[in-house]
Amino acid sequence: MIKNAQLIGLSRQIALARQMDVVANNMANINTTGFKAEESLFEEYVGPVARDQDFMGKDQPLSYVQDWATMHDLSAGDMVQTGNPLDVAINGAGFFAVQTAGGDRWTKAGAFQINAGGTLVDLSGNPVLGDGGPIQFGPEETDVNISEDGAVSSSAGAKGRLRIVEFANPQAIKHEGGNLFSGGAPIAPNDSRVMQGFIEKSNVSGVSSMAEMIKVQRAYESAAALSQRQDDMRRSAIQRLGDPNA
Amino acid sequence: MKALYIASTGMSAQERNVEVISNNIANMRTTGFKRQRAEFQDLLYQQITRAGSQTSDQGTNLPAGVEIGSGVRTVATPRIMSQGSVEPTEKELDVAIRGEGFFMINMPDGRTAYTRDGSFDRSDQGTIVNSSGYELQPGITIPGTAKSVSISPDGMVEAVLANDSVPTQMGQLQLARFVNKAGLESLGDNLFGETAASGAPQIGTPNADGVGDLLEGYLEMSNVNSVTEIADLIAAQRAYEMNARVISGADEMMQSTTQLR
Repeated sequence: MIKNAQLIGLSRQIALARQMDVVANNMANINTTGFKAEESLFEEYVGPVARDQDFMGKDQPLSYVQDWATMHDLSAGDMVQTGNPLDVAINGAGFFAVQTAGGDRWTKAGAFQINAGGTLVDLSGNPVLGDGGPIQFGPEETDVNISEDGAVSSSAGAKGRLRIVEFANPQAIKHEGGNLFSGGAPIAPNDSRVMQGFIEKSNVSGVSSMAEMIKVQRAYESAAALSQRQDDMRRSAIQRLGDPNA
Repeated sequence: MKALYIASTGMSAQERNVEVISNNIANMRTTGFKRQRAEFQDLLYQQITRAGSQTSDQGTNLPAGVEIGSGVRTVATPRIMSQGSVEPTEKELDVAIRGEGFFMINMPDGRTAYTRDGSFDRSDQGTIVNSSGYELQPGITIPGTAKSVSISPDGMVEAVLANDSVPTQMGQLQLARFVNKAGLESLGDNLFGETAASGAPQIGTPNADGVGDLLEGYLEMSNVNSVTEIADLIAAQRAYEMNARVISGADEMMQSTTQLR
């Protein structure tokens, strides 16, 4: 039994160490454009799973803890005005689509650039997709304007419309790194407005992450103290029962 | 415990951020300076359980997986190439560009550099040079006998020579523009160099060809906005402190493990 108590404590410590990693990653990305925070979710894992009525004694159900998911916190980050014409933010649930070697990816980081070939790209150099493929500018063009519905125009006229995607189940998309998300089933946008001259900052809240971190840290310490006490119990049991004079 | 390393990436990113901001503030009064902004990206994610993995024979699957990120990196420090404010100096050969273009400067090593800093002077030979003494391109020589020099908005340099009453045309200034101005390499001394990312320069005449027009007797100040820089500095500093706190938190967690007897 004592051994089980230690294992339960250990499952708690492993889960908390993972949660600490998630908090640390959120905190590291507190200034990353378009970053979406992650939240750890835990569930009870009741064991042993194998049950058999043939056993003499009844199995005692033991509740371990297991981290079963990290949820994306998709709430909006702060919109910061930059005045840069190629900075765009999406007000709403939508994502921009960019083209990578591994297929289309989704991003909230709308700090775009124009590359040497005149293509609109994100900061990693991936082409930003419009409705009809990447958006291309000629060398002589000036005055890039991006309207609320994502329509791009310049001094040479209309350039197409930024492809904005939304997701019926946004939890199905995966963090890829590089401010990109992958996967999911993109649908047409109905709740997205494009804002030119703004970028969406990270939605990590410093205060609540700090509070979460302290909570994780203290919980970890109390789990460590628990297994310490279990160990002390076992030690005193061995000492008492193993004493030849007993 | 990855948290230690994750938080250290956060600290080094914010350190970069403060470096960029302090360079912007240091160059607040630098003619033709364009401010930079540090841009960050999240690093790769470790997928511990994948979303959509099967949880039963009935075809149910996990609605969300466990993914643990590994921190942040600085991806770029693009320059914000917006127009700086234009201040009158009342000095001849001080020129500000209103628009997209750059002046072209002949570097001593034969390369061409590009600048928005239009504080020019005459050399001892009479050629128009920048404040480091490098020649403006195309080279224009103003004779010693010239009484006054003027530069028109479309880049025509005219001088009134001794005993003349009408100005004589000395040459035509040209400007270069780039498809991707933000991709120019910063050479220091207010100069930029061409790179593969910026594309080749498109040379044009001021007031035509979309390169902008010229204002003589004015200089373009930096486009640094002190209020936003200070706000960014405070945000960067707090983010740094929070990441430092995560490191000490992770350290205390590890300490409570090592203190088990």
